[in-house]
Amino acid sequence: MREQARAILNADPRFSRFDPLPRLIYHDDFNRGLRGWVELIGNYEHSLDSMLPQFADMRPPMLSSGTHWDTGTHGAMQGTYSMKLATRARAGDISVSIKRVTWRHRGPIRLEAYFTFKPEASELQLSVNDVRAVGVLFDLQDEEYRWMPHWRYLNALEGEPVRSWQFKREREPFHDIGDRAETVSHFHLAPTGWEDVPESGQILCFNEVATKFNWYYLRMDVDLASRQITHLQCNDRIHDLTGVGPMMILAMPNLDCMLNVAFWVETDVDKRAFLYVDSVLLSGDW
Amino acid sequence: MLRENYTAIVERSEELRGSFATEPYECGWAGEAIFFVRILERVGEIEGVKLYVQISPDGIRWCDEGTSLVLSGVEVSFCRVRHFGNWLRVAGTLPEGAGVRAIIALNLKG
Repeated sequence: MREQARAILNADPRFSRFDPLPRLIYHDDFNRGLRGWVELIGNYEHSLDSMLPQFADMRPPMLSSGTHWDTGTHGAMQGTYSMKLATRARAGDISVSIKRVTWRHRGPIRLEAYFTFKPEASELQLSVNDVRAVGVLFDLQDEEYRWMPHWRYLNALEGEPVRSWQFKREREPFHDIGDRAETVSHFHLAPTGWEDVPESGQILCFNEVATKFNWYYLRMDVDLASRQITHLQCNDRIHDLTGVGPMMILAMPNLDCMLNVAFWVETDVDKRAFLYVDSVLLSGDW
Repeated sequence: MLRENYTAIVERSEELRGSFATEPYECGWAGEAIFFVRILERVGEIEGVKLYVQISPDGIRWCDEGTSLVLSGVEVSFCRVRHFGNWLRVAGTLPEGAGVRAIIALNLKG
């Protein structure tokens, strides 16, 4: 980015903590509403019952003030509100929120966000292994491929700490939806097929009580031209991309130039898990 | 600035039986709300069943706010609520043998 443009960003507290590419596609500060982030829903035809059951209940996002029983309102990293995703209190339950736009230039794209995650503070315990995973994905399409970079922080699995990052390139089976051969669906967030990002062990600042928030920086770059993941970063750790790749699918009808981003949270126990996103900045280079 | 206006689908087509409550929804930014209950399917006698608006200091512990709506033979029922703090949900109890599948929409403005 040109020096002058960077200086302008640095002078604005909303942007100085980001490292965007030259074009700001969207900047979502949740003090100004949910700004197009919506619950993910599966495809259906005729009836909601035709949906894959895993997609039936992804839970609506909320504007959260981060309010707790013990200390009151924690607020967000900047201002009062963050976007909150909440699972049901059922092990393995997932909440997913998505924002849908399209791309206008087939080049580099950068996603940056500040986020944190916590279990519901329903027990007076550390609860550090109660959230299974939080993640982010792109859902992209060009003339040849639909491709879906998936990246998650696997915090714990079946009660055991993991604390490392994973990606997923294995495709889940497609299922026909309805009876008109117009729609298919695949549950790409299934627990199967995840692979480790090399040497990606990373201890995040969970703190010591479920009601204390520390915010983390996340950056994920993709290149629409080469269909590659080009950068994975959380806080000070830039992860090794050796062998890391996206889910690849032949281009599908009606998804031209799709540029979707989704966040999710999954609980490991019968307790609600929460993902809080303070702000999101999507930028591109053209 | 225009007011925020957001609709959250807090329940969508899951089968409800016995005692139930919608998931906690954090909405302290809003000054007014309407719960719409659209019945998709009904089994047994549900007319006259009351759903109670509940509020909470922490999203974990709940008390009746005082507003309720009554299920009837119509497809869509609603109730309005104001001055509700930071969380909202509705709770109710269906009689033995009765069940519904509903879309419960929470419309918020503030």
